[in-house]
Amino acid sequence: MYSKKFIPLVIVVILVFTSVDAIAAYDNVNATTDIMTTMASEEGADEHALPPVYMVTPFILLLLMIATGPLFYHHFWEHNYPKVAIALGSLTVIYYLAVLSDSHSILHSLAEYLSFIALLGSLFVASGGILLRVNRKATPFVNVVFLLFGSVIANVIGTTGASMLLIRPYIKMNQNRIKPYHIIFFIFMVSNIGGALTPIGDPPLFLGFLRGVPFFWVVVNVWYIWIPTLLVLLAMFYVFDSFNKGNNNNDEEEYTGKIEFKGAKNLIYLGIIIVSVFLDPAVLSWVPSLAPLPFGIREIIMFSVIIISFKRADQEILKANEFDFEPIKEVAYLFIGIFMTMIPALQLIAHEANVHADKLTAGIFYWATGGLSGFLDNAPTYLNFLSAAMGKLGLDINDKAQVLEFVYRDDVYLRAISVAAVFFGAMTYIGNGPNFMVKSICERAGIPMPSFFTYMIKYSIPILIPLFIVVWAIFFR
Amino acid sequence: MYTIEEVLKNDIHGLCYQNRLILPFAAHFLKIIVNKDIITDFSLNSKGVFIREIEDFTDLYFLEYKDLNDSISKYEAIKMVIVEKGKDIFDFDNHIKLSLYLEKKHKVKIEECDHDIIFLE
Repeated sequence: MYSKKFIPLVIVVILVFTSVDAIAAYDNVNATTDIMTTMASEEGADEHALPPVYMVTPFILLLLMIATGPLFYHHFWEHNYPKVAIALGSLTVIYYLAVLSDSHSILHSLAEYLSFIALLGSLFVASGGILLRVNRKATPFVNVVFLLFGSVIANVIGTTGASMLLIRPYIKMNQNRIKPYHIIFFIFMVSNIGGALTPIGDPPLFLGFLRGVPFFWVVVNVWYIWIPTLLVLLAMFYVFDSFNKGNNNNDEEEYTGKIEFKGAKNLIYLGIIIVSVFLDPAVLSWVPSLAPLPFGIREIIMFSVIIISFKRADQEILKANEFDFEPIKEVAYLFIGIFMTMIPALQLIAHEANVHADKLTAGIFYWATGGLSGFLDNAPTYLNFLSAAMGKLGLDINDKAQVLEFVYRDDVYLRAISVAAVFFGAMTYIGNGPNFMVKSICERAGIPMPSFFTYMIKYSIPILIPLFIVVWAIFFR
Repeated sequence: MYTIEEVLKNDIHGLCYQNRLILPFAAHFLKIIVNKDIITDFSLNSKGVFIREIEDFTDLYFLEYKDLNDSISKYEAIKMVIVEKGKDIFDFDNHIKLSLYLEKKHKVKIEECDHDIIFLE
């Protein structure tokens, strides 16, 4: 039943891989080096012609459909979003293979997609086998402590792991008073901004780490932006929550104050996922590369964790968590479309950024990385702007020594890009993988969530943009 | 027709054939959650669920689904807030939260919502 849902996706991935592999062999394109660690999209731009601007259309169309589908043609969208995502993604793939003869960019994006979905999927399944019961009455203060805890732990188990682990107890705690803002602030803090302190926290920082940014550079250089941003958000949440009197139907409910934890063995699986994140030939030289395959040992371990942790999970916990593959299926299908269709957009942006690199200030890097991270996947956006920032100083992103030199020479650019890539992921439901999953879980619990546009107009633009302007004015202007 | 109490006490199951759910009791339906769909409109024009009460059972047709088994996993429930027919719908104490699990051979297990299940009325 579960595997059926992913069969078309697996077929598409295999088709893409086999077709690009065949064309790569025909063109004698050297796509056999370690894809995840040695490719940057600007390389592809050097070897192949840039796509025309109109090739951004499938990407814009997909974004528009993600935004409008659940609102205006809900029935069609619910049943057809996998086909739409794959069809639009295929347009880009066919164009790159047939017109540009560029299999390199497709393989690169496919490798990043597999890495992305392996991490998200494994964290989703492993945390789905954990049951956390917090028998406490939710008050504004308790909620603030909970969100702060979630934001901190996001740096240890990733924003996806923290979101999946904590969203259910958070809803349960607040069930007699829950409003959409509870979930929105959860997405802001636990699913995004919280994870800005370590490379495990959010995928773009991890890609930076793979390229040579020291592991502790982020915490040392971002904590003084992270803390005030988080404190302001927590204070705003506290004010919102203080006005929420909830309903009085369950006032007689008694709370024990107990925190129960079930499914401890899944912590081992989470540990395996976190350790496997480092199993990359770029980090540990003894780790074998599986090139030309678009995945490595890390992804194999993560996919194995998905199977093993699901097969061995406690059935009662799965039932209590109402475990279903649908939320990850939704992310898997939509994001393969996003990853493929965004290739032209990212290459054009990277090209423009390189051309105008000397005019780009830290503030421009901050807004450009942030603006795009809200709508594109923040990981490749981060890499493209990192590449452009290094280009300003005549440095190459593919050389670890030069990345290190860049970090120590003028780290304001890296700080701007890192902060923006993570923080702005909270701007939309598609800014970061867990945003969509949290939304899906909430809807299944009976919480009507704001639409794509309402999320932006009512919450992210009025709350986050002023905050991000202040961050820019203080740290990056 | 059974009462809801009898159904819960005696583990009486319902039935499911594709998008048709057959429940062995009569009730006022207040809210149904299936998948991500939160259904509160039970009027005749509703595109969500068509409800038909017959002498011995209640039929629910989920109009936006071809087959509920394709959309709902083994661990996932169709959740509903209902009130036994004849009881005061305005008294919250009469509101019952049910979880319905689709099982093999068209059976539908009917349970009162477990404490762990998150279901907001």
